[in-house]
Amino acid sequence: MAARVLGALGRWGFLAVVGVACLVPVGWVVVSSFKTQAQIFSRGDLLPNPFTLEGYVALFTEIEIAGYLGNTLLYAVAGTAGALVTGLLAAYPTARMRFPFRHSLTVMFTIALAIPVVGLIVPVFVIMRDLGLFDSRLGLVVFYSAMWFPLSFVIQRVYLSGLPPSLEEAARLDGASYGQLLRLVILPLSRPGLATAGVLVFINIWNDFLFNLLLAPSSEHQGVQVGLSLFKNQFNTDITAILAGTTVVMAIPVLTFVILQRQVITGLTAGAAR
Amino acid sequence: MTSTPATVTAPAPRPTTAAAPNPPSVPPRRERRTGRLESAQPGTRLGIALSLLPGAVLFTVFYLVPLVVVVVTSLSDWGPIELTFTWTQNYRLLLTDDIFWTASRNTAVFLAAAVLIQVPVGVAAAVILARRVRGWRLLRTLFFLPNVVSYAALALVYVTFYNPRYGPLNQLLSGLGFDGSRDWLFDVDTALPAVAATWLFTAGVVMILVMAEIEAIPAEIYESARVDGASRWQLTRHITLPLLRNVVGVCLILVLLGTLAYFDGVYIMTGGGPADRTLTLSLYAFQEYSNSDWGYANAIGVVLIAAGLLGILLLRRVFRLGERDL
Repeated sequence: MAARVLGALGRWGFLAVVGVACLVPVGWVVVSSFKTQAQIFSRGDLLPNPFTLEGYVALFTEIEIAGYLGNTLLYAVAGTAGALVTGLLAAYPTARMRFPFRHSLTVMFTIALAIPVVGLIVPVFVIMRDLGLFDSRLGLVVFYSAMWFPLSFVIQRVYLSGLPPSLEEAARLDGASYGQLLRLVILPLSRPGLATAGVLVFINIWNDFLFNLLLAPSSEHQGVQVGLSLFKNQFNTDITAILAGTTVVMAIPVLTFVILQRQVITGLTAGAAR
Repeated sequence: MTSTPATVTAPAPRPTTAAAPNPPSVPPRRERRTGRLESAQPGTRLGIALSLLPGAVLFTVFYLVPLVVVVVTSLSDWGPIELTFTWTQNYRLLLTDDIFWTASRNTAVFLAAAVLIQVPVGVAAAVILARRVRGWRLLRTLFFLPNVVSYAALALVYVTFYNPRYGPLNQLLSGLGFDGSRDWLFDVDTALPAVAATWLFTAGVVMILVMAEIEAIPAEIYESARVDGASRWQLTRHITLPLLRNVVGVCLILVLLGTLAYFDGVYIMTGGGPADRTLTLSLYAFQEYSNSDWGYANAIGVVLIAAGLLGILLLRRVFRLGERDL
């Protein structure tokens, strides 16, 4: 009996410690974003008193976050679309048909997930520059599509190879072409795979910092992650604006995750299994 | 189609096991269904080729070519102006470069911190939550949340958390009567542990993967042990934990790759300082790129990529990945 109580105490104690540790720093930033700068510096009350939106006003007027947010949204949406389309097109044949080099292609695309891409910064920069894609919105969209193609491919391939093998049979007997099979049979069934891959890729592009920093030196092409962190270093910047900005930047993937939790967890398990 | 596509319950092998409430049967590690697939007809061959083309082009231009370029130009003195092959010179310089060894050591410290924090915490949380304790869904969401937030945003969070003037850490310390004036991230004594401690927040990935694996263990195994009078701790100790070998190996691979590629957080929090105390290999490669010493940056890049691949091979061996216990 005593052991049971002790065990339960240990379990809940552990969960409480981890929960608090996960919550406190992030929670403090969110709560403080509704304080005035004077309140933050005075180390006073825990809760905002008075409650103010000054930080959010400063975020849109002083830092002019809207442009950065727009860029990040564009990169995340268009880059995800690119990775999803190319991923599906490559995943379908490798998952469901037999042809030469099928296995080697699959292995090659999958191994890309094992490369720490930070090691590739120099050639990526040079290639983007030589292709005329450096420091342009289109360039970043193309790059993000390419960078997340392997993950999109792997997740969708796992999903498609799990569908029953007899799906295409009837259509094939009727003489359907490859394009018709893909469009009429597979596409309507591939939505769960697309959704799973899409959520993960979207969050990853939204969160990217390194390649935006590397490939977009001019501020009109920078996303919100880079924009905000550069403002951090300016001494005259309103600290509440940074806190408000951090809250906004975190809110998008957090909301995406809370709403589409199932897709995120599914995709994570599929990606890791390879 | 009578059912809407979104609710089609096709038996996708691995993915659906994660969120499925009932433990499904363990899926095959890698599908061996090739034999059941039809060979492509000559007409569809063209379709397949066209279909693979866009992805293959993106992959070639942004993964394959950069990979070859990194390896080849790591043997050269390369900058924005010219390239001269110097063969092994960059690597010989690396061997005697104190900053490189500092960065390697720091990267190893981060890796050790990540492994020692994330694996035990993640596994423990998964084992507890997999018992469906009250509120497990909420707790799972809560523990995982920091993982969907960018390292850049988390870095801004930690910068405020550790801030000497108004950060909650110093407020708490001075509230408890301790010295609350330390500048954690810019003090040579505390910078490295302060940055390493932030790894706690990303233990959620390990937790999710381990939970999925626990749910895939057939209930009958537990039933028969329970009939024999095993306690709950004995079930965990002798059935669950031994069956987690595969997934812990996978988690270690992810932690390794995550540590090697870790850049944003350190760049924003400390920029590698003070006095290179938190400099990582990824950051050092970026600095050398910024200094227009591209060949040297690429040699560091090769070290990073090789460390990742060797680590994966080693972990696959040690954890006998791919072999199932069931």
